[in-house]
Amino acid sequence: MASSPVSNSSQSWSQRLEPFLMLVPAGLWLFLLLILPTLLIFQLSLVPGIKPGDLVNPSSLENYFKIFEPSVLLVILRSIGLSILTTLFCLILGFPVAYWIALLAPERWQNLLLLGFVLPLWTSSLLRAYAWISILRPTGVLNTILTTLHLPALDVMNQLPAVLIGMTYSLLPYMVLILYSSLEKLDRRLLEAAADLGAPPKDVFMNVTVPQALPGIAAGVLLVFINAIGDFINPELLGGPSSMTAARLLYSRFLGASPDWGMGSALSALLIMLVTLAIVCLIKYGDKNARSI
Amino acid sequence: MDSELFSPKPRSRRQLLKMAASGAFGLGLSQILSGCGWRLGNVRSGQSNTSSSNELFLYTWAQYVDEELLKNFRNVTGLRTIRELFDSNEKMMAALQAGKGQTFSVLYPSEYFIPKLLKADLLAELDHDRVQGLDNLMPQFRRSAGDLDNHYGVPFAWGTTGLIYNQEKIPEGIENWDYLWKNKEKLTRKMTLLDDSREVLGCALKSLNYSINETNADRIKKAYEKLTILKPHIASFTTDGWRTQLAAGDLWVAMGYSSDAIGLLKENPKLRYIVPKPGGSRWSDWMVIPKAAPNPNAAYQWINYLLKPDVAASVAQRLAVTTPNANAIPLLPQELQRNTVSYPTAEVMARCESMTALTDEAEKLYDKYWTQLMS
Repeated sequence: MASSPVSNSSQSWSQRLEPFLMLVPAGLWLFLLLILPTLLIFQLSLVPGIKPGDLVNPSSLENYFKIFEPSVLLVILRSIGLSILTTLFCLILGFPVAYWIALLAPERWQNLLLLGFVLPLWTSSLLRAYAWISILRPTGVLNTILTTLHLPALDVMNQLPAVLIGMTYSLLPYMVLILYSSLEKLDRRLLEAAADLGAPPKDVFMNVTVPQALPGIAAGVLLVFINAIGDFINPELLGGPSSMTAARLLYSRFLGASPDWGMGSALSALLIMLVTLAIVCLIKYGDKNARSI
Repeated sequence: MDSELFSPKPRSRRQLLKMAASGAFGLGLSQILSGCGWRLGNVRSGQSNTSSSNELFLYTWAQYVDEELLKNFRNVTGLRTIRELFDSNEKMMAALQAGKGQTFSVLYPSEYFIPKLLKADLLAELDHDRVQGLDNLMPQFRRSAGDLDNHYGVPFAWGTTGLIYNQEKIPEGIENWDYLWKNKEKLTRKMTLLDDSREVLGCALKSLNYSINETNADRIKKAYEKLTILKPHIASFTTDGWRTQLAAGDLWVAMGYSSDAIGLLKENPKLRYIVPKPGGSRWSDWMVIPKAAPNPNAAYQWINYLLKPDVAASVAQRLAVTTPNANAIPLLPQELQRNTVSYPTAEVMARCESMTALTDEAEKLYDKYWTQLMS
């Protein structure tokens, strides 16, 4: 790793300035469009009962106390639970696909297969949610097929299962991509060595493949979790009255019938802190293993 | 990536300086910002006199303005009209306060929303000398709970809120709000309610024979509890999404506005619209001129144009809205005049109550129960 720039008296000041100048465009963009708005949200969350036109005077934590009402806590827990389930499903479904593309599929097809799997990302997520509506509706494609086969129709729409399906579908390509890039770097010689030493395939998988793929799994899990927590489209379109999530609650606090920008900002701040926590975990546990190789 | 940044103890003085600098920077920044005394959504409500006098900007609902109306208006007055759409009063207000307050010369809020706009000091008083045709309006629309004597606006369209149901699936018809509660098992996931706290709590209040503008805390609580009984059986709370689902047969009954029903019933003869007993709400959408309107002249011309009976009649017919213009109604085709969805009978009108703004404590209660209902 490059050591931090030590002040070396033999370097001219322009040479020392150069790295920082390179950072200015990106740094400015990051500051103006990410750091400043986040600080503003934190400021807004400290003003109780703020309405447009009010003077912003950070004074109390009242908005944060509103988050600890049972109904809001329930919504936040539901969001976290949905995100964890989505991540689990994405991992279970995505790992075999990534494994197959990276290790078992013919080399010349790898890029094509990956492209095919990632293609849905090229369409708008709103359109994908509407497609799921037309599939999962009570008289939609799924139930039409089921009833033609004389199977009972599924009532999934506007409930949590539909939201789960939509979210898993939306985030699966990300998981597959990340797992693929991690599994691709797998050292196959270790796999062969383990097999040569007599390990059954299950042990090879558990003791050789998974530990090597762990940074990729961590990265994929955390990326999907972070995206799932903030997902608005799938719960809004596919969910019903019993599937209110944090993102929908935020939307209703800013643009809904009972605007409460203070509490909305507090909820945003909470979500930002949650996501930051997840990213910190990723940095701490993700790269360590990569560096040890 | 330097994992030392996250170690509990800074390893060196450099690390400590880095952390301290970023912390101080963040704090200092927020102090600077709060010291500046910035206002959220800085709305300047003074008159701005720079704007093209040939243009009129409208902020309206999707159903109320179409290309032909704009073309006809241009032919009569020579003004070019640009419209922008919104789909809920709250979003309109949020947009106005977030900086669009100076863009529009005519707004279309709902009646119960006008007091809120007044409180936020966003409306200009109508100069009755510049408005022609106020006498065309039906007497009950010459005043409203939020606006006595058309001081601030002119009504454009009105209607009722009720249930639209599929006659084939519900042959016995719906008479009462309580039908939904009595048959909740049969209607599980086949009914929707509006995504509007006032309307939904209002229908529960009405079904208990209370007023739609109830401010009594116990009665509001009873309405909320009644709704929680129905909630597991409701497919979703939606203001627009039920239309395709009702037409497709996914839904059997949906709560909707009469203006939606007019078009749907024409397309689909299986559907029926009813304002259930003991009553429903009567809504109206008004045209108002904001305080910071860039072109008030054009705004008055627009309002006067729409107050003309022949224009109001053609708009009512083409856009399927119910007009409050008494002199326009005789100009409508007979079948439209007799259509009880658009022009309800006196008996139905007697059952309907118009929504007014509530006291602050009552609003908070409605909000609280709505949030709990939605969770």
